[in-house]
Amino acid sequence: MTQSLASDITTGPNQGDFDYSQKRIDDASSQLQVPLKTIDLSVGFSHSTILNEISLSFPKGTITALVGPTGCGKSTFLRTLNRMNDHVRGFWHKGSVVLDDVNIYDKSVDPLVLRRNVGMVFQRPNPFPMSIKDNVVSGVKAHKLAKRKDLLAIAESQLKEVGLYDAIADRMDDSPFRLSGGQQQLLCLARALAVGPEVLLLDEPTASLDPVSTSSVESLISALVPKLTIVIVTHNLAQARRIAQHAAFFFNGELVEHGLAAQVLEDPEHETTAQFVTGRMG
Amino acid sequence: MFSKSHLLRRKILDKAMWALATFSLVCIVAPLAWLVWGVVGRALPHWNWSLLTTKPGGANGGGLSTLIVGTLVITAGVAVVAGIIGIGSGLYLSELCPEGKGKILRTASEVLSGVPAIVLGFLGYTVLVVEFKWGFSLGAALVVLSIMVVPYIAKATEVAILQVPTAFREAAEGLGMTRWQTLRRAVLKPAAPGIVTGLIIALAIAMGETAPLLYTAGASNNFPTSHITHSPVGFLTYAVWTDYNQPLAGSAELSATAAVLLLVIVLMLILLSRLVIRVSKKYSINNSHGGR
Ligand SMILES: Nc1ncnc2c1ncn2[C@@H]1O[C@H](COP(=O)(O)OP(=O)(O)O)[C@@H](O)[C@H]1O
Ligand SMILES: [Mg+2]
Repeated sequence: MTQSLASDITTGPNQGDFDYSQKRIDDASSQLQVPLKTIDLSVGFSHSTILNEISLSFPKGTITALVGPTGCGKSTFLRTLNRMNDHVRGFWHKGSVVLDDVNIYDKSVDPLVLRRNVGMVFQRPNPFPMSIKDNVVSGVKAHKLAKRKDLLAIAESQLKEVGLYDAIADRMDDSPFRLSGGQQQLLCLARALAVGPEVLLLDEPTASLDPVSTSSVESLISALVPKLTIVIVTHNLAQARRIAQHAAFFFNGELVEHGLAAQVLEDPEHETTAQFVTGRMG
Repeated sequence: MFSKSHLLRRKILDKAMWALATFSLVCIVAPLAWLVWGVVGRALPHWNWSLLTTKPGGANGGGLSTLIVGTLVITAGVAVVAGIIGIGSGLYLSELCPEGKGKILRTASEVLSGVPAIVLGFLGYTVLVVEFKWGFSLGAALVVLSIMVVPYIAKATEVAILQVPTAFREAAEGLGMTRWQTLRRAVLKPAAPGIVTGLIIALAIAMGETAPLLYTAGASNNFPTSHITHSPVGFLTYAVWTDYNQPLAGSAELSATAAVLLLVIVLMLILLSRLVIRVSKKYSINNSHGGR
Protein backbone atom coordinates (compact mmCIF):
# COMPACT_ATOMS: atom_id res chain seq x y z
CA MET A 1 0.00 0.00 0.00
CA THR A 2 2.92 2.34 0.50
CA GLN A 3 3.79 3.11 -3.06
CA SER A 4 6.02 6.09 -3.48
CA LEU A 5 4.41 9.33 -4.44
CA ALA A 6 6.38 9.46 -7.67
CA SER A 7 4.99 6.18 -8.92
CA ASP A 8 1.47 7.44 -8.33
CA ILE A 9 1.68 10.91 -9.66
CA THR A 10 3.23 9.96 -12.95
CA THR A 11 0.15 8.15 -14.11
CA GLY A 12 -0.87 11.21 -16.10
CA PRO A 13 -0.66 11.59 -19.86
CA ASN A 14 2.88 12.96 -19.75
CA GLN A 15 4.17 10.07 -17.71
CA GLY A 16 7.05 9.31 -20.02
CA ASP A 17 8.62 12.72 -20.29
CA PHE A 18 8.24 13.78 -16.69
CA ASP A 19 11.71 14.74 -15.60
CA TYR A 20 12.39 14.37 -11.93
CA SER A 21 15.99 15.55 -12.24
CA GLN A 22 14.72 19.10 -12.60
CA LYS A 23 13.05 18.85 -9.25
CA ARG A 24 15.70 16.76 -7.57
CA ILE A 25 17.41 18.75 -4.90
CA ASP A 26 20.82 17.87 -3.62
CA ASP A 27 21.00 17.02 -0.01
CA ALA A 28 24.66 16.19 0.24
CA SER A 29 24.98 18.00 3.54
CA SER A 30 22.91 15.36 5.25
CA GLN A 31 23.79 11.71 5.50
CA LEU A 32 20.26 10.92 6.52
CA GLN A 33 17.62 9.99 4.01
CA VAL A 34 15.13 12.78 3.81
CA PRO A 35 11.76 11.94 2.28
CA LEU A 36 10.24 15.31 3.11
CA LYS A 37 11.63 18.80 3.28
CA THR A 38 10.74 22.40 2.66
CA ILE A 39 12.96 24.80 0.76
CA ASP A 40 12.63 28.54 1.32
CA LEU A 41 8.95 28.01 2.00
CA SER A 42 6.98 31.19 2.60
CA VAL A 43 3.28 30.97 3.24
CA GLY A 44 0.53 33.48 3.80
CA PHE A 45 -3.12 34.34 3.43
CA SER A 46 -3.98 37.27 1.15
CA HIS A 47 -1.83 40.19 2.22
CA SER A 48 -0.39 38.67 5.36
CA THR A 49 2.70 36.51 5.54
CA ILE A 50 2.49 33.75 8.12
CA LEU A 51 5.71 31.82 7.45
CA ASN A 52 8.95 33.27 6.19
CA GLU A 53 11.42 31.23 4.10
CA ILE A 54 11.36 28.03 6.08
CA SER A 55 13.90 25.40 5.05
CA LEU A 56 13.48 22.30 7.12
CA SER A 57 14.16 18.61 6.53
CA PHE A 58 12.40 15.67 8.11
CA PRO A 59 14.77 12.71 8.33
CA LYS A 60 13.31 9.37 7.35
CA GLY A 61 11.87 7.17 10.05
CA THR A 62 12.16 9.73 12.81
CA ILE A 63 9.87 11.95 14.81
CA THR A 64 10.32 15.69 14.40
CA ALA A 65 8.60 17.95 16.91
CA LEU A 66 7.55 21.45 15.91
CA VAL A 67 7.36 23.73 18.91
CA GLY A 68 6.72 27.41 19.42
CA PRO A 69 4.27 29.81 20.99
CA THR A 70 0.62 29.85 19.91
CA GLY A 71 0.05 31.66 16.65
CA CYS A 72 3.61 31.32 15.38
CA GLY A 73 2.43 29.33 12.35
CA LYS A 74 3.02 25.69 13.30
CA SER A 75 -0.38 24.46 12.14
CA THR A 76 -0.20 26.50 8.97
CA PHE A 77 3.21 25.01 8.25
CA LEU A 78 2.01 21.47 8.92
CA ARG A 79 -1.04 21.89 6.71
CA THR A 80 1.16 23.18 3.92
CA LEU A 81 3.01 19.86 3.94
CA ASN A 82 0.03 17.95 2.55
CA ARG A 83 -1.69 20.82 0.78
CA MET A 84 -4.54 21.06 3.25
CA ASN A 85 -4.42 24.83 2.81
CA ASP A 86 -5.10 24.70 -0.90
CA HIS A 87 -8.75 25.59 -0.52
CA VAL A 88 -8.31 28.12 2.26
CA ARG A 89 -9.25 31.59 1.13
CA GLY A 90 -6.30 33.71 0.07
CA PHE A 91 -3.69 30.99 0.63
CA TRP A 92 -0.41 31.51 -1.20
CA HIS A 93 3.05 29.97 -0.98
CA LYS A 94 6.53 30.55 -2.32
CA GLY A 95 9.39 28.09 -2.34
CA SER A 96 8.80 24.36 -2.35
CA VAL A 97 7.80 21.32 -0.34
CA VAL A 98 9.68 18.29 -1.59
CA LEU A 99 8.45 14.77 -1.02
CA ASP A 100 10.55 11.96 -2.47
CA ASP A 101 12.29 14.41 -4.79
CA VAL A 102 9.07 15.85 -6.14
CA ASN A 103 7.72 19.29 -5.38
CA ILE A 104 4.26 18.54 -4.06
CA TYR A 105 2.95 21.83 -5.41
CA ASP A 106 3.96 20.77 -8.91
CA LYS A 107 1.08 20.63 -11.38
CA SER A 108 1.56 16.93 -11.95
CA VAL A 109 0.92 16.08 -8.30
CA ASP A 110 -2.57 14.94 -7.41
CA PRO A 111 -3.27 16.36 -3.93
CA LEU A 112 -5.54 13.41 -3.16
CA VAL A 113 -2.79 10.89 -3.78
CA LEU A 114 -0.40 13.15 -1.90
CA ARG A 115 -2.65 13.09 1.17
CA ARG A 116 -2.74 9.34 1.07
CA ASN A 117 1.04 9.40 1.31
CA VAL A 118 1.16 12.22 3.82
CA GLY A 119 -1.58 11.55 6.34
CA MET A 120 -2.87 13.90 8.99
CA VAL A 121 -4.34 13.67 12.48
CA PHE A 122 -5.87 16.69 14.16
CA GLN A 123 -6.02 18.24 17.59
CA ARG A 124 -9.56 17.14 18.34
CA PRO A 125 -10.46 13.56 17.50
CA ASN A 126 -12.72 13.74 14.46
CA PRO A 127 -14.14 10.33 13.64
CA PHE A 128 -16.83 10.28 10.97
CA PRO A 129 -20.47 9.72 11.93
CA MET A 130 -20.36 6.09 10.87
CA SER A 131 -19.53 2.82 12.56
CA ILE A 132 -16.10 2.25 14.10
CA LYS A 133 -15.28 -0.29 11.44
CA ASP A 134 -16.37 2.01 8.61
CA ASN A 135 -14.29 4.77 10.13
CA VAL A 136 -11.10 2.75 9.99
CA VAL A 137 -11.58 1.72 6.39
CA SER A 138 -13.11 4.95 5.09
CA GLY A 139 -9.87 6.03 3.45
CA VAL A 140 -9.21 2.53 2.15
CA LYS A 141 -12.64 2.55 0.53
CA ALA A 142 -12.25 6.06 -0.88
CA HIS A 143 -8.97 5.13 -2.55
CA LYS A 144 -10.26 1.68 -3.53
CA LEU A 145 -7.26 0.02 -1.92
CA ALA A 146 -8.99 -3.23 -1.02
CA LYS A 147 -11.84 -5.50 -1.92
CA ARG A 148 -15.05 -5.21 0.00
CA LYS A 149 -14.72 -8.60 1.64
CA ASP A 150 -11.29 -7.72 3.02
CA LEU A 151 -12.41 -4.53 4.72
CA LEU A 152 -13.35 -6.07 8.05
CA ALA A 153 -10.00 -7.84 8.32
CA ILE A 154 -8.20 -4.60 7.49
CA ALA A 155 -10.20 -2.71 10.10
CA GLU A 156 -9.37 -5.32 12.70
CA SER A 157 -5.67 -5.38 11.94
CA GLN A 158 -5.44 -1.58 11.95
CA LEU A 159 -7.24 -1.41 15.27
CA LYS A 160 -4.83 -4.00 16.62
CA GLU A 161 -1.92 -1.94 15.37
CA VAL A 162 -3.07 1.07 17.39
CA GLY A 163 -3.87 -1.10 20.40
CA LEU A 164 -7.58 -0.41 20.35
CA TYR A 165 -8.91 -3.73 19.17
CA ASP A 166 -9.17 -5.57 22.47
CA ALA A 167 -11.17 -2.76 24.02
CA ILE A 168 -13.72 -2.55 21.22
CA ALA A 169 -13.70 -5.95 19.51
CA ASP A 170 -17.43 -6.42 20.09
CA ARG A 171 -18.31 -2.83 19.21
CA MET A 172 -17.10 -2.63 15.63
CA ASP A 173 -20.56 -1.58 14.45
CA ASP A 174 -21.12 0.98 17.17
CA SER A 175 -20.91 4.73 16.95
CA PRO A 176 -17.37 6.03 17.49
CA PHE A 177 -18.73 8.86 19.62
CA ARG A 178 -19.31 6.46 22.46
CA LEU A 179 -15.57 5.89 22.78
CA SER A 180 -13.46 7.96 25.14
CA GLY A 181 -11.54 10.90 23.69
CA GLY A 182 -8.31 8.94 23.76
CA GLN A 183 -9.91 5.95 22.05
CA GLN A 184 -11.38 8.25 19.41
CA GLN A 185 -7.95 9.68 18.71
CA LEU A 186 -6.48 6.18 18.40
CA LEU A 187 -9.30 5.41 15.99
CA CYS A 188 -8.37 8.47 13.93
CA LEU A 189 -4.78 7.28 13.91
CA ALA A 190 -5.90 3.84 12.74
CA ARG A 191 -7.93 5.49 9.99
CA ALA A 192 -4.95 7.56 8.88
CA LEU A 193 -2.61 4.56 8.99
CA ALA A 194 -4.99 2.31 7.06
CA VAL A 195 -4.26 4.02 3.74
CA GLY A 196 -0.57 3.30 4.18
CA PRO A 197 1.01 6.74 4.44
CA GLU A 198 4.73 7.27 4.32
CA VAL A 199 4.63 10.47 6.36
CA LEU A 200 2.23 11.29 9.20
CA LEU A 201 1.47 14.85 10.26
CA LEU A 202 0.10 15.28 13.77
CA ASP A 203 -1.25 18.63 14.93
CA GLU A 204 -1.26 18.60 18.74
CA PRO A 205 -2.82 15.14 18.74
CA THR A 206 -2.99 14.89 22.52
CA ALA A 207 -3.96 18.47 23.34
CA SER A 208 -7.55 17.50 24.12
CA LEU A 209 -6.76 14.25 25.94
CA ASP A 210 -6.29 13.23 29.55
CA PRO A 211 -2.83 12.09 30.73
CA VAL A 212 -3.55 8.37 30.45
CA SER A 213 -4.87 8.65 26.89
CA THR A 214 -1.98 10.96 26.07
CA SER A 215 0.50 8.35 27.09
CA SER A 216 -1.15 5.62 25.02
CA VAL A 217 -1.17 7.90 21.97
CA GLU A 218 2.45 8.78 22.62
CA SER A 219 3.55 5.17 22.83
CA LEU A 220 1.72 4.42 19.60
CA ILE A 221 3.45 7.33 17.86
CA SER A 222 6.83 6.12 19.12
CA ALA A 223 6.09 2.64 17.82
CA LEU A 224 5.33 3.96 14.32
CA VAL A 225 8.93 4.92 13.66
CA PRO A 226 11.09 3.97 11.86
CA LYS A 227 8.38 2.64 9.54
CA LEU A 228 6.93 6.12 9.15
CA THR A 229 8.33 9.61 9.15
CA ILE A 230 6.43 11.70 11.66
CA VAL A 231 6.04 15.44 12.11
CA ILE A 232 4.27 16.42 15.31
CA VAL A 233 3.20 19.86 16.44
CA THR A 234 3.05 19.99 20.20
CA HIS A 235 2.83 22.66 22.83
CA ASN A 236 3.82 20.10 25.38
CA LEU A 237 7.61 20.33 25.66
CA ALA A 238 7.81 17.29 27.92
CA GLN A 239 6.07 15.33 25.21
CA ALA A 240 8.51 16.58 22.59
CA ARG A 241 11.39 15.51 24.82
CA ARG A 242 9.83 12.08 25.36
CA ILE A 243 9.13 11.11 21.79
CA ALA A 244 10.99 13.28 19.28
CA GLN A 245 14.45 12.76 17.85
CA HIS A 246 14.46 16.09 16.03
CA ALA A 247 12.94 19.41 16.92
CA ALA A 248 12.32 22.77 15.31
CA PHE A 249 11.46 25.96 17.09
CA PHE A 250 9.18 28.45 15.32
CA PHE A 251 8.71 32.02 16.40
CA ASN A 252 6.62 34.64 14.61
CA GLY A 253 6.66 32.75 11.36
CA GLU A 254 10.42 32.23 11.41
CA LEU A 255 12.27 28.98 11.91
CA VAL A 256 14.60 30.06 14.70
CA GLU A 257 16.40 26.83 15.37
CA HIS A 258 16.29 23.17 14.44
CA GLY A 259 18.30 20.05 14.98
CA LEU A 260 18.43 17.11 17.34
CA ALA A 261 15.67 17.30 19.91
CA ALA A 262 18.10 16.95 22.79
CA GLN A 263 20.01 19.95 21.57
CA VAL A 264 17.12 22.24 20.61
CA LEU A 265 15.02 21.46 23.64
CA GLU A 266 17.74 21.16 26.29
CA ASP A 267 20.62 23.28 25.17
CA PRO A 268 19.47 25.69 22.47
CA GLU A 269 21.79 28.11 20.73
CA HIS A 270 19.38 30.98 20.40
CA GLU A 271 18.21 33.16 23.21
CA THR A 272 14.54 33.07 22.06
CA THR A 273 14.57 29.30 21.95
CA ALA A 274 16.11 29.19 25.40
CA GLN A 275 13.41 31.49 26.74
CA PHE A 276 10.75 29.25 25.27
CA VAL A 277 12.09 25.87 26.36
CA THR A 278 12.75 27.07 29.88
CA GLY A 279 9.24 28.37 30.17
CA ARG A 280 10.17 32.01 30.36
CA MET A 281 7.91 32.66 27.38
CA GLY A 282 4.22 31.79 26.88
CA MET B 1 -25.55 40.57 49.67
CA PHE B 2 -28.08 37.82 50.22
CA SER B 3 -30.73 40.07 51.62
CA LYS B 4 -34.30 38.93 51.88
CA SER B 5 -35.50 41.27 49.16
CA HIS B 6 -32.95 39.76 46.77
CA LEU B 7 -34.20 36.28 47.43
CA LEU B 8 -37.79 37.39 47.16
CA ARG B 9 -37.17 39.12 43.86
CA ARG B 10 -35.48 36.03 42.50
CA LYS B 11 -38.36 33.86 43.63
CA ILE B 12 -40.90 36.14 41.96
CA LEU B 13 -38.89 36.20 38.76
CA ASP B 14 -38.66 32.44 38.88
CA LYS B 15 -42.40 32.06 39.25
CA ALA B 16 -43.06 34.62 36.52
CA MET B 17 -40.82 32.81 34.04
CA TRP B 18 -42.49 29.55 34.91
CA ALA B 19 -45.92 31.03 34.37
CA LEU B 20 -44.86 32.53 31.05
CA ALA B 21 -43.47 29.23 29.82
CA THR B 22 -46.64 27.39 30.83
CA PHE B 23 -48.78 30.02 29.16
CA SER B 24 -46.80 29.67 25.91
CA LEU B 25 -47.19 25.93 26.03
CA VAL B 26 -50.94 26.26 26.51
CA CYS B 27 -51.08 28.72 23.61
CA ILE B 28 -49.60 26.07 21.34
CA VAL B 29 -51.30 22.98 22.68
CA ALA B 30 -54.79 24.40 23.19
CA PRO B 31 -55.49 25.31 19.55
CA LEU B 32 -54.19 21.92 18.47
CA ALA B 33 -56.42 20.15 20.95
CA TRP B 34 -59.34 22.32 19.93
CA LEU B 35 -58.64 21.59 16.26
CA VAL B 36 -58.42 17.85 16.78
CA TRP B 37 -61.47 17.88 19.03
CA GLY B 38 -63.55 19.93 16.61
CA VAL B 39 -62.61 17.97 13.52
CA VAL B 40 -62.58 14.51 15.01
CA GLY B 41 -65.71 15.23 17.01
CA ARG B 42 -67.56 16.07 13.84
CA ALA B 43 -66.20 13.22 11.78
CA LEU B 44 -66.29 10.39 14.29
CA PRO B 45 -70.07 10.04 14.83
CA HIS B 46 -70.50 9.50 11.11
CA TRP B 47 -67.32 7.51 10.58
CA ASN B 48 -67.68 4.73 8.10
CA TRP B 49 -64.75 2.76 6.73
CA SER B 50 -66.42 2.62 3.34
CA LEU B 51 -65.70 6.34 2.99
CA LEU B 52 -62.12 5.32 2.29
CA THR B 53 -63.07 3.05 -0.56
CA THR B 54 -66.01 4.92 -2.12
CA LYS B 55 -65.70 7.52 -4.84
CA PRO B 56 -67.06 10.98 -4.15
CA GLY B 57 -70.33 12.06 -5.76
CA GLY B 58 -73.85 10.83 -5.71
CA ALA B 59 -76.80 11.90 -3.65
CA ASN B 60 -75.19 11.43 -0.24
CA GLY B 61 -71.82 12.90 -1.30
CA GLY B 62 -70.15 9.51 -1.60
CA GLY B 63 -66.69 8.80 -0.16
CA LEU B 64 -63.20 10.14 -0.43
CA SER B 65 -61.18 7.35 -2.07
CA THR B 66 -60.10 9.19 -5.20
CA LEU B 67 -59.28 12.32 -3.25
CA ILE B 68 -57.03 10.40 -0.86
CA VAL B 69 -55.16 8.90 -3.78
CA GLY B 70 -55.00 12.32 -5.46
CA THR B 71 -53.48 13.94 -2.39
CA LEU B 72 -50.97 11.12 -2.01
CA VAL B 73 -49.99 11.35 -5.68
CA ILE B 74 -49.58 15.12 -5.51
CA THR B 75 -47.55 14.85 -2.29
CA ALA B 76 -45.31 12.14 -3.72
CA GLY B 77 -44.82 14.22 -6.86
CA VAL B 78 -43.84 17.27 -4.82
CA ALA B 79 -41.48 15.10 -2.77
CA VAL B 80 -39.68 14.08 -5.93
CA VAL B 81 -39.73 17.36 -7.87
CA ALA B 82 -39.29 19.84 -5.03
CA GLY B 83 -37.10 17.40 -3.10
CA ILE B 84 -34.56 17.09 -5.90
CA ILE B 85 -34.57 20.78 -6.81
CA GLY B 86 -34.70 22.02 -3.22
CA ILE B 87 -31.98 19.74 -1.85
CA GLY B 88 -29.91 20.40 -4.96
CA SER B 89 -30.21 24.18 -4.51
CA GLY B 90 -29.36 23.95 -0.82
CA LEU B 91 -26.31 21.89 -1.68
CA TYR B 92 -25.29 24.37 -4.34
CA LEU B 93 -25.76 27.32 -2.00
CA SER B 94 -23.78 25.84 0.86
CA GLU B 95 -21.04 23.99 -1.00
CA LEU B 96 -20.48 25.01 -4.55
CA CYS B 97 -21.51 28.51 -5.48
CA PRO B 98 -19.34 31.62 -5.17
CA GLU B 99 -20.38 34.09 -2.50
CA GLY B 100 -21.77 36.79 -4.82
CA LYS B 101 -24.03 34.42 -6.71
CA GLY B 102 -25.19 32.93 -3.44
CA LYS B 103 -26.45 36.29 -2.23
CA ILE B 104 -28.56 36.79 -5.33
CA LEU B 105 -29.94 33.28 -5.15
CA ARG B 106 -30.73 33.51 -1.46
CA THR B 107 -32.53 36.81 -1.91
CA ALA B 108 -34.51 35.44 -4.85
CA SER B 109 -35.42 32.42 -2.80
CA GLU B 110 -36.56 34.53 0.14
CA VAL B 111 -38.70 36.72 -2.10
CA LEU B 112 -40.21 33.62 -3.68
CA SER B 113 -41.10 32.15 -0.31
CA GLY B 114 -42.89 35.40 0.53
CA VAL B 115 -45.23 35.23 -2.47
CA PRO B 116 -48.73 34.24 -1.30
CA ALA B 117 -49.80 30.77 -2.40
CA ILE B 118 -52.89 32.11 -4.11
CA VAL B 119 -50.79 34.40 -6.29
CA LEU B 120 -48.62 31.48 -7.32
CA GLY B 121 -51.76 29.49 -8.02
CA PHE B 122 -53.18 32.26 -10.15
CA LEU B 123 -49.92 32.53 -12.09
CA GLY B 124 -49.89 28.77 -12.54
CA TYR B 125 -53.40 28.98 -13.89
CA THR B 126 -52.74 31.77 -16.39
CA VAL B 127 -49.37 30.47 -17.54
CA LEU B 128 -49.51 26.68 -17.31
CA VAL B 129 -53.20 25.85 -17.50
CA VAL B 130 -54.21 28.47 -20.03
CA GLU B 131 -51.13 29.74 -21.88
CA PHE B 132 -49.31 26.41 -22.15
CA LYS B 133 -52.65 24.68 -22.63
CA TRP B 134 -51.83 22.03 -20.01
CA GLY B 135 -55.36 22.23 -18.70
CA PHE B 136 -56.10 21.43 -15.05
CA SER B 137 -53.51 18.78 -14.33
CA LEU B 138 -51.05 17.09 -12.03
CA GLY B 139 -48.22 18.75 -13.96
CA ALA B 140 -49.46 22.27 -13.27
CA ALA B 141 -50.11 21.42 -9.62
CA LEU B 142 -46.65 19.98 -9.14
CA VAL B 143 -44.94 22.96 -10.73
CA VAL B 144 -46.81 25.49 -8.58
CA LEU B 145 -46.56 23.56 -5.31
CA SER B 146 -42.88 22.85 -5.94
CA ILE B 147 -42.13 26.50 -6.62
CA MET B 148 -43.89 27.20 -3.36
CA VAL B 149 -41.86 24.82 -1.18
CA VAL B 150 -38.48 24.70 -2.93
CA PRO B 151 -37.18 27.78 -1.06
CA TYR B 152 -38.12 26.11 2.19
CA ILE B 153 -36.34 22.85 1.38
CA ALA B 154 -33.30 24.70 0.04
CA LYS B 155 -33.01 26.74 3.22
CA ALA B 156 -33.38 23.69 5.46
CA THR B 157 -30.72 21.85 3.43
CA GLU B 158 -28.33 24.79 3.50
CA VAL B 159 -28.69 25.26 7.25
CA ALA B 160 -28.29 21.54 7.93
CA ILE B 161 -25.10 21.42 5.87
CA LEU B 162 -23.64 24.53 7.43
CA GLN B 163 -24.13 22.96 10.85
CA VAL B 164 -21.95 19.98 10.02
CA PRO B 165 -18.71 20.36 12.00
CA THR B 166 -15.76 21.36 9.82
CA ALA B 167 -13.82 18.64 11.63
CA PHE B 168 -15.62 16.01 9.52
CA ARG B 169 -14.65 17.79 6.35
CA GLU B 170 -11.04 18.15 7.45
CA ALA B 171 -10.87 14.47 8.31
CA ALA B 172 -12.10 13.57 4.85
CA GLU B 173 -9.76 15.98 3.10
CA GLY B 174 -6.86 14.77 5.21
CA LEU B 175 -7.51 11.25 3.98
CA GLY B 176 -7.36 12.39 0.39
CA MET B 177 -11.05 11.94 -0.33
CA THR B 178 -12.46 13.58 -3.42
CA ARG B 179 -14.91 16.42 -3.13
CA TRP B 180 -17.82 14.13 -3.80
CA GLN B 181 -16.63 11.51 -1.31
CA THR B 182 -16.15 14.22 1.28
CA LEU B 183 -19.65 15.49 0.64
CA ARG B 184 -21.27 12.09 0.76
CA ARG B 185 -19.46 10.60 3.74
CA ALA B 186 -18.58 13.57 5.88
CA VAL B 187 -21.23 16.17 5.11
CA LEU B 188 -24.51 14.76 3.79
CA LYS B 189 -24.70 11.94 6.30
CA PRO B 190 -24.67 14.16 9.40
CA ALA B 191 -26.84 16.72 7.63
CA ALA B 192 -29.48 14.16 6.66
CA PRO B 193 -31.78 14.56 9.70
CA GLY B 194 -32.06 18.30 9.12
CA ILE B 195 -32.66 17.86 5.41
CA VAL B 196 -35.32 15.20 5.96
CA THR B 197 -37.10 17.31 8.57
CA GLY B 198 -37.19 20.26 6.18
CA LEU B 199 -38.49 18.11 3.35
CA ILE B 200 -41.26 16.56 5.45
CA ILE B 201 -42.47 19.90 6.77
CA ALA B 202 -42.48 21.23 3.21
CA LEU B 203 -44.57 18.27 2.13
CA ALA B 204 -47.02 18.83 4.96
CA ILE B 205 -47.37 22.46 3.89
CA ALA B 206 -47.87 21.49 0.24
CA MET B 207 -50.42 18.84 1.14
CA GLY B 208 -52.50 21.30 3.12
CA GLU B 209 -52.71 23.84 0.31
CA THR B 210 -56.05 24.51 -1.33
CA ALA B 211 -55.98 27.74 -3.30
CA PRO B 212 -53.06 26.96 -5.63
CA LEU B 213 -54.49 23.49 -6.23
CA LEU B 214 -57.92 24.81 -7.16
CA TYR B 215 -56.19 26.89 -9.82
CA THR B 216 -53.99 24.14 -11.17
CA ALA B 217 -55.17 20.63 -10.30
CA GLY B 218 -58.77 21.59 -10.83
CA ALA B 219 -61.20 19.16 -9.32
CA SER B 220 -62.18 15.62 -10.07
CA ASN B 221 -64.12 12.75 -8.60
CA ASN B 222 -62.03 10.20 -10.46
CA PHE B 223 -58.72 8.60 -9.70
CA PRO B 224 -55.64 10.40 -11.04
CA THR B 225 -54.68 9.18 -14.48
CA SER B 226 -51.22 8.55 -15.87
CA HIS B 227 -51.44 11.79 -17.82
CA ILE B 228 -49.32 14.64 -16.48
CA THR B 229 -51.37 17.23 -18.36
CA HIS B 230 -55.01 17.57 -19.40
CA SER B 231 -56.27 15.51 -16.53
CA PRO B 232 -57.66 17.19 -13.41
CA VAL B 233 -56.82 15.67 -10.03
CA GLY B 234 -59.03 15.59 -6.97
CA PHE B 235 -57.54 16.23 -3.54
CA LEU B 236 -58.64 16.14 0.09
CA THR B 237 -58.48 19.86 0.81
CA TYR B 238 -60.99 20.32 -1.99
CA ALA B 239 -63.47 18.22 -0.08
CA VAL B 240 -62.76 20.10 3.13
CA TRP B 241 -63.38 23.34 1.32
CA THR B 242 -66.42 22.57 -0.86
CA ASP B 243 -68.34 19.93 1.02
CA TYR B 244 -68.59 22.08 4.06
CA ASN B 245 -70.87 24.50 2.21
CA GLN B 246 -72.90 21.93 0.35
CA PRO B 247 -76.56 21.76 1.24
CA LEU B 248 -76.55 17.97 0.93
CA ALA B 249 -77.04 15.88 4.02
CA GLY B 250 -73.74 14.42 5.18
CA SER B 251 -71.61 16.91 3.28
CA ALA B 252 -70.38 18.73 6.34
CA GLU B 253 -69.44 15.40 7.89
CA LEU B 254 -67.58 14.43 4.73
CA SER B 255 -65.69 17.67 4.97
CA ALA B 256 -64.73 16.88 8.56
CA THR B 257 -63.68 13.36 7.59
CA ALA B 258 -61.44 14.74 4.85
CA ALA B 259 -59.86 17.05 7.42
CA VAL B 260 -59.25 14.13 9.78
CA LEU B 261 -57.63 12.18 6.96
CA LEU B 262 -55.36 15.12 6.19
CA LEU B 263 -54.35 15.25 9.84
CA VAL B 264 -53.67 11.52 9.84
CA ILE B 265 -51.51 11.74 6.71
CA VAL B 266 -49.52 14.66 8.16
CA LEU B 267 -49.06 12.67 11.34
CA MET B 268 -47.80 9.69 9.37
CA LEU B 269 -45.38 11.93 7.48
CA ILE B 270 -44.03 13.21 10.77
CA LEU B 271 -43.68 9.69 12.11
CA LEU B 272 -41.89 8.68 8.93
CA SER B 273 -39.44 11.56 9.31
CA ARG B 274 -38.83 10.58 12.95
CA LEU B 275 -38.02 7.09 11.78
CA VAL B 276 -35.63 8.30 9.08
CA ILE B 277 -33.98 10.64 11.55
CA ARG B 278 -33.59 7.91 14.12
CA VAL B 279 -31.95 5.62 11.59
CA SER B 280 -29.62 8.30 10.24
CA LYS B 281 -28.75 9.47 13.72
CA LYS B 282 -27.44 6.11 14.76
CA TYR B 283 -23.88 7.29 14.36
CA SER B 284 -24.52 10.93 15.10
CA ILE B 285 -22.05 12.90 17.17
CA ASN B 286 -24.95 13.85 19.45
CA ASN B 287 -26.00 10.30 19.99
CA SER B 288 -23.51 8.80 22.40
CA HIS B 289 -25.93 6.33 23.95
CA GLY B 290 -28.29 5.18 21.18
CA GLY B 291 -28.89 1.55 20.38
CA ARG B 292 -27.12 -0.54 17.80
N1 LIG C 1 -7.14 30.81 7.11
C1 LIG C 1 -6.40 31.80 7.66
N2 LIG C 1 -6.51 33.07 7.18
C2 LIG C 1 -5.79 34.06 7.72
N3 LIG C 1 -4.93 33.91 8.73
C3 LIG C 1 -4.75 32.69 9.24
C4 LIG C 1 -5.48 31.56 8.74
N4 LIG C 1 -5.13 30.47 9.45
C5 LIG C 1 -4.21 30.89 10.35
N5 LIG C 1 -3.99 32.22 10.23
C6 LIG C 1 -3.06 33.01 11.03
O1 LIG C 1 -1.78 32.43 10.94
C7 LIG C 1 -1.11 32.55 12.16
C8 LIG C 1 -0.56 31.21 12.58
O2 LIG C 1 -1.61 30.37 12.92
P1 LIG C 1 -1.37 28.85 13.24
O3 LIG C 1 -0.62 28.23 12.13
O4 LIG C 1 -2.69 28.24 13.57
O5 LIG C 1 -0.46 28.94 14.53
P2 LIG C 1 -0.10 27.82 15.59
O6 LIG C 1 -0.58 26.51 15.11
O7 LIG C 1 1.39 27.89 15.71
O8 LIG C 1 -0.74 28.22 16.88
C9 LIG C 1 -2.08 33.13 13.18
O9 LIG C 1 -1.78 34.49 13.34
C10 LIG C 1 -3.41 32.96 12.50
O10 LIG C 1 -4.27 34.01 12.85
MG1 LIG D 1 -2.05 25.18 15.90
